[in-house]
Amino acid sequence: MTIVTGKAEARRKLQPGRSGALRKIWAHRADYAYVLPAIAVMLIVIAYPIYYTVELSFFKTPPGLQLRDKTFIGFDNYTTILTSQVFWKVTWNTLIWTLGSTFISFVLGFATALALHRDFIGRGVLRAILIIPWVISAVAASYIWKWIYHSDFGIIGAVLVGLGLADQPPNFIDNVSTVLPSLIVVNIWREFPFAMIMMMAGLQTVPDQLLRAAKVDGANAWQRFWHVTFPHLRNVSVVTMLLLAVANFNSFIIPWIMTGGGPSNASHIWITHIYELAFGRQRWGVASAYSVLLFLTLMTLGYFYVRALSGNERKEGSA
Amino acid sequence: MSTIAETAPRAQTRRRMRVDGWRWAGRIFLVFMLLYTALPMIWMLITSIKSGFAATQFPPQWWPDEPTLASYQKLLDPQNSVGQDFLRFFWNSLFVSTVTTILSVIVAVPAAYAFSRFSFPGRNFLFFAVLLRNMFPAVIFLVPLFILMRAIGLINTHGSLILTYLTFGLPLAIWLLKGFYDNIPVQLEQAARIDGATRFQAFIMIVMPLSTPGIIATAIYSFIGAWNEYIYAYTFLSKNEQLTLPVGIQRFFSENTTDFPGLMAASFMMSVPVVVLFLVLQRYFVRALTEGAVKH
Repeated sequence: MTIVTGKAEARRKLQPGRSGALRKIWAHRADYAYVLPAIAVMLIVIAYPIYYTVELSFFKTPPGLQLRDKTFIGFDNYTTILTSQVFWKVTWNTLIWTLGSTFISFVLGFATALALHRDFIGRGVLRAILIIPWVISAVAASYIWKWIYHSDFGIIGAVLVGLGLADQPPNFIDNVSTVLPSLIVVNIWREFPFAMIMMMAGLQTVPDQLLRAAKVDGANAWQRFWHVTFPHLRNVSVVTMLLLAVANFNSFIIPWIMTGGGPSNASHIWITHIYELAFGRQRWGVASAYSVLLFLTLMTLGYFYVRALSGNERKEGSA
Repeated sequence: MSTIAETAPRAQTRRRMRVDGWRWAGRIFLVFMLLYTALPMIWMLITSIKSGFAATQFPPQWWPDEPTLASYQKLLDPQNSVGQDFLRFFWNSLFVSTVTTILSVIVAVPAAYAFSRFSFPGRNFLFFAVLLRNMFPAVIFLVPLFILMRAIGLINTHGSLILTYLTFGLPLAIWLLKGFYDNIPVQLEQAARIDGATRFQAFIMIVMPLSTPGIIATAIYSFIGAWNEYIYAYTFLSKNEQLTLPVGIQRFFSENTTDFPGLMAASFMMSVPVVVLFLVLQRYFVRALTEGAVKH
């Protein structure tokens, strides 16, 4: 790789100016060599697909992906989606799934991080065990829980019957009203460790002196948490929750493997529904229009994500 | 398992006699979380050492009357057709994940270094563009990528997966590594430059060794992501001999729906490599998150 001029290097943290942009780009030409591989991969696998999805969303497409035969139909795909009942059902499911999973995972993860913050014997082992669900494959997790929820031989049903709480094992995932909460439990099982790791990392940045000072001033445990610890963790919390929300919004494997969206769409979320439209029913145009709507929703979330991230940076700059 | 959680509180109470409500709540909560986390995994292990008959009893056998490793033997026996498939899936997963990991480190390291050290025009824009990749679900890219891969002849090859997986790992990898490079003083490199090293030499000899924990964390993340990925593998691969583990297991057990011990044994063995890898290297990972993501 080429060497950059000493001048460019000295101005490591210079502000991007408005004038002479081209000259500046030329002066920094060698710098781009470092980022080029990353950007190239991103362009092929991201920019092109986004463009193509938008294009397809305005076409009526024949099944079998013989895309030369597609015909332009304007916004018809979008009106088809927005007027269908399934869309609103699936949107509602997605909301419950995303908000429920995100919020509970975050609270459980944060509480675990707080409980693990104090040193005790076996803390490392306990932490390691708690992280395992996050590491194992979602496919494995889905099968484990599917077996736990099994309507005939599932362990939860057997325990409920054994304790006399039910006459016969309840059917968790074939029941319209229990399927979504049951899947959310699985999702939280896999996800709270992520919140835990993030918040544990965050807790290490809270200055001990401040906590001790608060204690000397007579603050109780809750006041110390609320007035010292929590304000320090606001940025980490926002980033963690956004990352969780995005991951949940985009999750596919757990509903797909455990229920395939059933019974009667009760556990379909946007992603599984789009997948089924595209690869199941071969309605590529409608699926693409769906993807564009999804994309717009995510851009909105992404705006807050970037704001939260650059908020961190700004704070660092002023410190 | 629960002994770990129980010995800890006892040691603490001996040291401090005062009963602290919050601390007790914390202990009870940890025991609850431990049960929530561990019981499903324990049940997976217990089921995997049952016979097919013992697994389908009501009420269930809490501990099998006749524990057997038959399911594991079947999966790991190269003579058996099931074992042949399973071992091939395992090998495919290992190959795809390893290549993805190596490539993503090679691509992420220079990019993160540039984002940390240089200030070329568009740096912030590109950085956030890279991060934004995390926002988009696989499904958005699935149809066009499927068509693209078919056009360039990568459908039904592991290359299609490797190329796609690269982009999952990259955003977080670049973000984490950038945090690391931000924390390495420039003066170290400048000193090396004064001693006559080129920027590239300074990078290889000074910066790389110092950022090893970040690189290890990046590698773990890419490996686990690739190992566990399902949706692209499910869509891009159709030939049985190319499937990776998650898809292979799903295909296999959608045909053999009642072999629960086999399914649990397969789930267990699919989890072992990533769990071991993570447990061995987790301190790097937590450290990288602390330095890269939080302090930032």
